[in-house]
Amino acid sequence: MADTAVHDDQVGHDDHDDHDHGHDDHGHTSTGLSHNKLGMWLFLGSECLLFGGLISTYMLYRGRHSENLGPDQVWDIPFTSASSFVLLMSSLTMVLAVSSAKRGDDRNTKTWLSVTALLGSLFVAGQVYEFTTFHAEGLGFGTSLFSSSFFALTGFHGVHVSVGIIMLLAVTGMVAKNRIPGDKAEVVELVGLYWHFVDIVWILIFTLVYLIPA
Amino acid sequence: MSNSTSLVPKVLTSSMPDVNPRTRRVKRGLFAVASVLALSACAQNAPQDTWKPKGENAQKIQDLQWWVFLIAGIVGVLVFGAVLYCVIKYRDKGQPIPEQTHGKAWLEYAFIAGPALLLTFVAVPTITTVIDLNKTDDATCFINVTGQQWWWEFDYPVAADGTICGYAPTGDALPIVTSGQMVIPADTKVVIRGTSRDVIHSFWVPALNGKRDMVPGRVHTWRFHANEPGIFAGQCAEFCGLSHANMRMEIVALSPADFTTWLDGQLAPYQAPEADTLAATGEATFIAQCSRCHQVDGMTDADGEPVIAAPEQFVWSGAAPNLSHLMSRNTFAGGTWDLLTEDCRADVWGASPDEFGAKYLAGVSDECLNEIDLKEWLRDAPSKKPMFADPEELTETDGKTRGMPYLALSEDQINELVAYLETRK
Amino acid sequence: MALIERPAPALIPAVATPSSSYGVFRRPVETTGWKSWVFTIDHKKLGIMYGVAALFFFLVGGVEALLIRAQLAGPNGTILSADKYNQMFTMHATTMVFLFVMPMAAAFGNYFLPLQIGARDVAFPRINAFGFWCFLFGAIFINTSWFLGGAADGGWFMYAPNSSVPFSPTNGIDFWGVGLQITGIASLTGAINLIVTVLNMRAPGMSLMKMPIFTWMILVVQFLLLFAIPVITVALFLLMFQRSFGATFFSVEAGADPLLWQHLFWIFGHPEVYILILPSFGIVSEVLPVFSKKPLFGYPLVVFSGCAIGFVGWGVWAHHMFASGLGPISVAVFSVSTMAIALPTGVKIVNWTLTMWGGKIRFTTAMLFAIGLIVQFTIGGLSGVTHAVAPSDTQQTDTYYIVAHFHYVLFGGAVLGIFSGLYYWWPKIFGKLLSERLGKWNFWLMVVGMNMTFGPMHILGLQGQPRRMYVWTENRAGDGFFDLGFWNLISSIGAAVLGIGVLLFFINVFISRKHAPAPLDPWDARSLEWMTTNPPKEHNFDQVPTVHHLDEFFHRKYEDRGTEDHHDYHQIATAEEIMADQEANADKHIHLPSPSYWPIVLAFSLPVMGYGVIFNKFMIPVGATLLLLSMFGWSMEPHTASEADYDPPTPEGGAELEVVSHG
Repeated sequence: MADTAVHDDQVGHDDHDDHDHGHDDHGHTSTGLSHNKLGMWLFLGSECLLFGGLISTYMLYRGRHSENLGPDQVWDIPFTSASSFVLLMSSLTMVLAVSSAKRGDDRNTKTWLSVTALLGSLFVAGQVYEFTTFHAEGLGFGTSLFSSSFFALTGFHGVHVSVGIIMLLAVTGMVAKNRIPGDKAEVVELVGLYWHFVDIVWILIFTLVYLIPA
Repeated sequence: MSNSTSLVPKVLTSSMPDVNPRTRRVKRGLFAVASVLALSACAQNAPQDTWKPKGENAQKIQDLQWWVFLIAGIVGVLVFGAVLYCVIKYRDKGQPIPEQTHGKAWLEYAFIAGPALLLTFVAVPTITTVIDLNKTDDATCFINVTGQQWWWEFDYPVAADGTICGYAPTGDALPIVTSGQMVIPADTKVVIRGTSRDVIHSFWVPALNGKRDMVPGRVHTWRFHANEPGIFAGQCAEFCGLSHANMRMEIVALSPADFTTWLDGQLAPYQAPEADTLAATGEATFIAQCSRCHQVDGMTDADGEPVIAAPEQFVWSGAAPNLSHLMSRNTFAGGTWDLLTEDCRADVWGASPDEFGAKYLAGVSDECLNEIDLKEWLRDAPSKKPMFADPEELTETDGKTRGMPYLALSEDQINELVAYLETRK
Repeated sequence: MALIERPAPALIPAVATPSSSYGVFRRPVETTGWKSWVFTIDHKKLGIMYGVAALFFFLVGGVEALLIRAQLAGPNGTILSADKYNQMFTMHATTMVFLFVMPMAAAFGNYFLPLQIGARDVAFPRINAFGFWCFLFGAIFINTSWFLGGAADGGWFMYAPNSSVPFSPTNGIDFWGVGLQITGIASLTGAINLIVTVLNMRAPGMSLMKMPIFTWMILVVQFLLLFAIPVITVALFLLMFQRSFGATFFSVEAGADPLLWQHLFWIFGHPEVYILILPSFGIVSEVLPVFSKKPLFGYPLVVFSGCAIGFVGWGVWAHHMFASGLGPISVAVFSVSTMAIALPTGVKIVNWTLTMWGGKIRFTTAMLFAIGLIVQFTIGGLSGVTHAVAPSDTQQTDTYYIVAHFHYVLFGGAVLGIFSGLYYWWPKIFGKLLSERLGKWNFWLMVVGMNMTFGPMHILGLQGQPRRMYVWTENRAGDGFFDLGFWNLISSIGAAVLGIGVLLFFINVFISRKHAPAPLDPWDARSLEWMTTNPPKEHNFDQVPTVHHLDEFFHRKYEDRGTEDHHDYHQIATAEEIMADQEANADKHIHLPSPSYWPIVLAFSLPVMGYGVIFNKFMIPVGATLLLLSMFGWSMEPHTASEADYDPPTPEGGAELEVVSHG
């Protein structure tokens, strides 16, 4: 970490600068990353193990189901592929939102954030539809080990997407009202980090859960 | 120096006993003496002593661990010695401030390499012993073991060649179901195949081997071997709920001849008690009160119909001990209480390997029966051994009990039942 | 004398003047009274609150332990029923692990980590406060189970399927599972916060290898938490789904594998062991050099061994499962990896000893506790090696030998380290020295007590007494005077001695309130946290120090006027002089975040949802609504209060810095 150099030029004007706030997000930091961004990366690192645990549970239990309610019977691959595609596209719009924010283009930022939230909502709606269908076919949460672990894994992911949507909408609103304290582009970027992470997890889930045969 | 340092001498000259090296040395000496005393004066004949192997598997563990303990002990003494040396030698006697150094790298590496080498010496035999202890292909006797809250069931399958556990009974070979005490032939390689009907239990008879968990839904194997005839105490070692403390078992090793005798005894046909005795009344009481859950092989009711227990309707685990030959074993209720009075028990447990077989096979005679505990048990089992059997609390288990419920038996009924059970030899 | 953290108006971004945006509440700005604690986001106040709560739960767990030992003092004990006994040992472990040692480490970490790296606060002060309240509410939540039908009774390891409803029909395990999820949030947020603080907020010149060793160990622990907490979270969610929502993760009749829980639990549970012990390693690595007047021997290696423990700690979890039927290959592999982790641990023991070697040792209470840790932890470490040998472990696991082992490691290690830290840092936190005389009684009674309590357990275990039995009986206790009954009795008496020892600490604390103020640098200390007042000002340092050395404070006080071979250290400055210099060059515009209502409100929504899961599902959306509203309020709130919130408001264009006396 090249922190010494950074500090050395600070030492001179120690007395009349405001660089040393306990909480200052846009002041200088030892790593050069802002607190928020570093914190978000750490949080996502932690999330990897959360999903790791859930995915492991699913992989262990995916073959343990009743005769006619296994993955092969209930999956609707074309439908899920379509909703996965929607979610993937939302990553693209998220990238556009971040780059607009970096340019300071509030109008486009708002637009792309809203589109991202919309695509995310479509995905969640698709998941709700899918769960309802499964339930109608008799696959409840406690039906089998397969269903318990499937609903737990995809449910957790769905909650993550929903939280992401709330964050997107909140940021959109805050951008609109110019309420974001500090670095606007970074706030958008942080939400973007989270959103991309959730997408990547879905790619993993989609592959492991839906595409690879049990 | 600032006022901070003036505090130091005060601390040093404080009257507390630790700073004087002489008293400290005396203390250390006492500690050493105490530890030697402690180690040499441990309980004699503790039945579950893990350092007194009585069979080849436990012996393998012992051969491996005694010198690991020795190495650990030596390392410990070295570390304590070094700490003691520092504490005495380098206490603040007004010496100048020592060199502010972070030490020498080579010394560091030596202190890593040394222990690493030592651990390699431990690791290699550990691996070979682990693999050795998990072998199953050289056994001649197989026994199925099932744990449940809070007792062990043993069943002896009949092999394709008509033998049970490698020995042929005199008559027809049929599967044997027993509980509490697992009888094996001495000097024979036995493999148990174990599972559980409810929660995880762990099968542990320290004199013969370490423990192996018995997990519901899985079958785990574990080796046993006893050098000589004798009785070896064990206990469930994985926490299994309310009466975990009261879930015991023994392994009983018998000479080949005695083992065949035991097989014959277990396979002997049902003998109803003589008519018009207390035991005969007890049989009827047993059918009315106990046979819902407890099987007695070959028993028939007044109409001559076989009495078949249906514990799965009443007990959450789905089984209750088979009582066909209760008095051939000498404990009951999960191996927690003795069927033998104290003197008779001491006679069996203390018997020499030569005499043990005969004494064990004598079973529980009338004069040796420990009626007190048995009657207490029949009077109110859940208050003697904590179990989950309060009818008001059974909503979560579909009305099924875990363990034996309170049966509201009268004293007469209890006497009848004891008389009947005494005849189950 | 202190500068108060009145924000400089120029620093509030012009776009965010949201004094009205979070509704009807005036923002809390109190600096005294209960509000100054409940709504505080000051890392030092939070550290103290963590410590007070943790010590309270230490007493709770201690009473549970004493009840356990009372029950086992004689054969067929009748003080506790089997049911109560099972609750007691479950909650003893849960309390000591999750509600005492972990928050105690959080207390020291919170308080001293920013001070040691020369920072003014942590990176996320509000999240810090939120973490504390999560911990406290979670802890209270778990303990309310005692009054609501009985506490958890499945052991702290809560093995499935014994944790399923038919085997434990009370709500105890629900409280346990949900409560630990809430305290888990505290650990996770704390981990992110402290990692960012260390990585981002070190004083100028403090490279990672100039960081105090305590900070290093706390950093390693936070990484362990960061990755271990989500694993236990998954396990606890599965348990909650199983017990409260009809899922079948652990229902064997549905085909579940009970070993799933064991793997998830121990993948968390083994790193957890290092989470418990490393903070204390850090503390004694601070204390030993100070009282030996030498730097920590092999500092880089102690750092690397700490990191190595952090890594290898992830590869040894299955040594808790040597008896559970993993198969010989796994057992052999985990057996060897477990032996391997003894190496970095051994490095620490060696380095501590060599730190004292050639030193100038002062036997203060803090130092005694640190030396006590070396000796006692070594015993625990060596007994640990004996059950890294898997075949021996099959004899030892689930016996009192293991109980002895981990109490030597956790009491002899973690707890003695914590007490060392308490005696060492007490004057820093409260400005009063604890009595050394009482402290030594405290130390010796605790050490004698712990050896009497846990020493005999080695014998009990090796002679076949399993753990978690609510009674032991004479017919498995052997013959002779020194039968297992004797050792059980000694152990119980030892527990009483230990209890008295611990009590002395609290008496010492009580008495210390009347002591004269502690000197500025009572121990002739070496690291940055001593380069400020006792207790530190709210902004920690008047002037953020620039660091040139490991042990910066020592090198500011002493100078080597000797030669290469013959060193000759002279004091060139007193602590007072260094401090006066700092005050003279104080930074202006010190700008600290203001207190906030939202952390405690947000944290409060969690137990509301928790009770909902257990008693009435309709409370879940109520809690969730509260959660969302407080998150909204939180995100709308700027870091610092607007001028309008102060009473009376600072006059327009008034003094930017206000000098007030500060207790």
